[in-house]
Amino acid sequence: MKKLLALLLCAIMILPAFAFADETTEISLWTYPIGSWGDPDTVNGIIAKFNEVHPEIKVKVNYLDYASGDDQVTTAIEAKTTPDIVMEGPERLVANWGAAGKMLDISDLWDDAVKADIIAASPAVEAACKNAEGIYYEYPLCMTTHCMVINYNDFEAAGALQYLDEATHTWTTEGFLNALDALEAAGYLPTGVVYCGGQGGDQGTRALVTNLYSGQFTNADHTAYTMDSEENIKALQLLKDLVEAGKLDADPGIVAGDEIALFCNSTLSIGFCWNASAAVSNKASLADDVKVFPMAFPSDDGVPELQGGIWGFGLFDNGDEARAQAAKTFVKFVCDDENQAAASVYASGFFPTRASLGDVYAGTDKAENGEYAIFMPFLGDYYQVTGNWAAQRTEWWNLLQRIFAGGDVAAEVATYCANANK
Amino acid sequence: MSENIASIQKRMQRKQANTGGDHSVHQITAYEVAALVVLVIIAILFIFPLYWIITGSFKNAQDVIAKVPVWFPTAPTADNYVRLFARPAVRWLINTVFLCAMSMALTCISASMGGYALAKKKFVGRTVVFSVFVCAMALPKQVILIPLLKEMAFLKLHDTLWAVILPTVGWPFGVFLMKQFSETIPESLLEAARIDGAGEARTFIEIVLPIIKPGIGALAIFTFITAWNDYFLQLIMLNDTNVLTISLGIAKLQSELSNDFGLIMAGAALGSIPIIIIFLLFQKFFTRGITMGAVKG
Amino acid sequence: MQKTALRSGMTVNMRQARRRENIAGYLFMAPSLLFFLGFVIFPMVMCLVYSFTSYTMTEFSFAGLANYQRMFQDAIFGKALINTIILVLVSVPITCFFSLWVASIISKMADRTTSFFRCVFYLPVVTGSVAVTVVWKWIFNRYYGVLNYLCMSLGLINRNMNWLGDPSTALWCILTILLTTSVGQPIVLYVSALNNVDQSLVEAASVDGATNLQTFWRIKWPQIMPTTLYILVITTINSFQCFALIQLLTSGGPNHATETIMYYIYYNAFKLQNYGYGSAMGIILALIIAAFSALQFKLAKTDNG
Repeated sequence: MKKLLALLLCAIMILPAFAFADETTEISLWTYPIGSWGDPDTVNGIIAKFNEVHPEIKVKVNYLDYASGDDQVTTAIEAKTTPDIVMEGPERLVANWGAAGKMLDISDLWDDAVKADIIAASPAVEAACKNAEGIYYEYPLCMTTHCMVINYNDFEAAGALQYLDEATHTWTTEGFLNALDALEAAGYLPTGVVYCGGQGGDQGTRALVTNLYSGQFTNADHTAYTMDSEENIKALQLLKDLVEAGKLDADPGIVAGDEIALFCNSTLSIGFCWNASAAVSNKASLADDVKVFPMAFPSDDGVPELQGGIWGFGLFDNGDEARAQAAKTFVKFVCDDENQAAASVYASGFFPTRASLGDVYAGTDKAENGEYAIFMPFLGDYYQVTGNWAAQRTEWWNLLQRIFAGGDVAAEVATYCANANK
Repeated sequence: MSENIASIQKRMQRKQANTGGDHSVHQITAYEVAALVVLVIIAILFIFPLYWIITGSFKNAQDVIAKVPVWFPTAPTADNYVRLFARPAVRWLINTVFLCAMSMALTCISASMGGYALAKKKFVGRTVVFSVFVCAMALPKQVILIPLLKEMAFLKLHDTLWAVILPTVGWPFGVFLMKQFSETIPESLLEAARIDGAGEARTFIEIVLPIIKPGIGALAIFTFITAWNDYFLQLIMLNDTNVLTISLGIAKLQSELSNDFGLIMAGAALGSIPIIIIFLLFQKFFTRGITMGAVKG
Repeated sequence: MQKTALRSGMTVNMRQARRRENIAGYLFMAPSLLFFLGFVIFPMVMCLVYSFTSYTMTEFSFAGLANYQRMFQDAIFGKALINTIILVLVSVPITCFFSLWVASIISKMADRTTSFFRCVFYLPVVTGSVAVTVVWKWIFNRYYGVLNYLCMSLGLINRNMNWLGDPSTALWCILTILLTTSVGQPIVLYVSALNNVDQSLVEAASVDGATNLQTFWRIKWPQIMPTTLYILVITTINSFQCFALIQLLTSGGPNHATETIMYYIYYNAFKLQNYGYGSAMGIILALIIAAFSALQFKLAKTDNG
């Protein structure tokens, strides 16, 4: 009897604590490894800053990787265990999960001031974050252009530097072909590899093909894939001929990560998948005789149209209004808070999507990242928001495999378009 | 005369007293020498991955992707391990051990009871139940993953280690194995126990368990190792960084545009050394156990 | 009179005993049945249900046999089926014969040596699939892998071969790795089985003048037959379920050269979100494996008599 009373007293005393405890909201953030956003220390630091201003919102983080991240989100969608916030790009947030109706409309985050700021940085970004009806599914944080890279030392030794414009880091298709000849003559084989073992790094191979003869990957309103245009088929044929002539390699057994390893250990003189973040993360792996020199993709008119990368936040529709609000608060803080915004972009290793932020790397120890800003004017159409994007990516590397296995270019492209344009 | 026979008998007894090994013939033939050479070459092939993982984990970033294979790290560094433990690698290891130990314990308990029932208790529907168990063994796990995930979400168990433990325990292989072992229990012992008035529980604990102990040992190790290696189930069920297992943790270390192979090797070493040690320590128990079941099954 | 009384008394006892057996049986089965029904049978039934639906991320509707019809017209499914069967038909016999051969040699050695070799062959199993794949990916690397390095140094080939990227060699590479991870347990089993062979019979045979080979076939082989069949079943199931290797090394490529049904199911379910179609393929795969296993079990039953 005494024990029972004692227990009851304890319970009554503890009860009020529960009432107060309900005041904190807990939200979950899933992030892909975008620069240091894949590093727990960095992200925890950002969350700590957030909690100084908003202690009532707790943020739990899950770090995805590109190999299995999509699988995890897919299963979470099916099991209805999706997080509150996910950080990635429009091809996933807008074109995939947004189009499937799983994301929240976050147009209320896009007030006029922010919209103007973002458009000033790049109209392509603003256009990519919303769907055809004008509903915004992504709130962008950073962007970049994907470029390629050459080993300056190899090019110098082979006398191939004359074929590129060192000041603007661009070259023409003709210059590219001459450079390949020079490298081959000097014995620098293999020159480069057109990797097609999987979807990892396909932004490199896409950019390579579309720029050679200024073809477009999709039509203007992003409703169909136009790999069957005359320019693109000519480009694919050129690559196939180069591979058969031994001036370029193709490998259906590797993906971008492997290609970068081959570039870093000086097997290759050219790498087709590169950007500011890759430069930072691979610095320590570079062999002694490799000097990194980023380049735009070769184009027939010397003006490349580079593929963009846009990263930002999207909110899953979990049916919980309180958590959605808390999530929006967090996103707004990370992207727009005057003390935090620049730091968030800095952590990603890429460039701000708000013109007002300027150069976030000036005067920091990552100042050389600023070097990659020279490619920003060449940012082309952000077409990754076209429908059926995920399936198309698989069709793309399968197309490349079939072509390099000897298939007829026009016929294989027809198959690709038929499957991708479903 | 009798002494000769006695000495021959003694020699045969000594021979038979030696454990293991087939003592029927003993001249070293050319075939045996050749076979041994081939065996050693193949053994090197099998040890090589482990060697590569361990040396790789101590290599710096340049050596680990070097064009010409670097057989021994030129500048051994513990940096990879430092970075590995900056991630919650120890947590992952603990998670994995907990996961495997729990699966092992629950499987042994439920499988030994179930196997005994299937072997010795003649209950209605016994053949049907056994057939279903055996058929389910053939089912590939990937196939039931989506329904399983929904079930776990419904039970609010997803993203916890239990989401991986429970399906592992449900797997019918354990029951099948224990049934094979339980077949060898002599009926007479059970009869005697029943006549003595022992209840079912007492019979099971005091008579059956000691006999099938080697089987339980084999099942324990087998379940532990299988649970450790079940990459796909872990991948789908576990998300939060703090509940990852070591295999999952290592797999996530691979990113799209960079090649931190040193870190991955360190993770791989951490993921395999403990289990190798466990296997070495419990080897005898394990191998003695499997035999009886397989041969007499 | 006494006889009838005794008989009816025994019948009552027998009925009671039978009921006791039933209750006891099910009580003992309860824990494993619970887990089995809950986490294996129930999802399996759901899978069967999904296979008759058109279930993707955006829709869920009844579709009858549509998935199954689609499967039989799917060229990639056909290729996957062929690859899977090649994997199984090649790996199972090689695993069995190789492990038997190894076991026959090492079982004759001193205890320490046997233990050593046994551990060595079991290593790939305990190292874990992720770690094993990372190493083999490096070994097979076209540009800096050790296999090409060795082959070039020994003059076996004059150009770096693209082991994992060439459709004609990719599947055999996967097979090789599968073999290394499959032979561990059979070797352990065979060593123990060979050591348990009745020595007196072997000695009698050698006294009769039988050669090693004859002793093996006539005496040892029949005695280790149960082990052999057990190994056949387990290896078959493992080969059918080979997945992590393919996912981590080749993603089914190049050009579907290493596509197996298991991987294709994963691809459809997780990459294309065709859950209904994936479930249908899963059911078919399960039926195929069940058929193989049933055949092997029948063989086992007849041999054990």
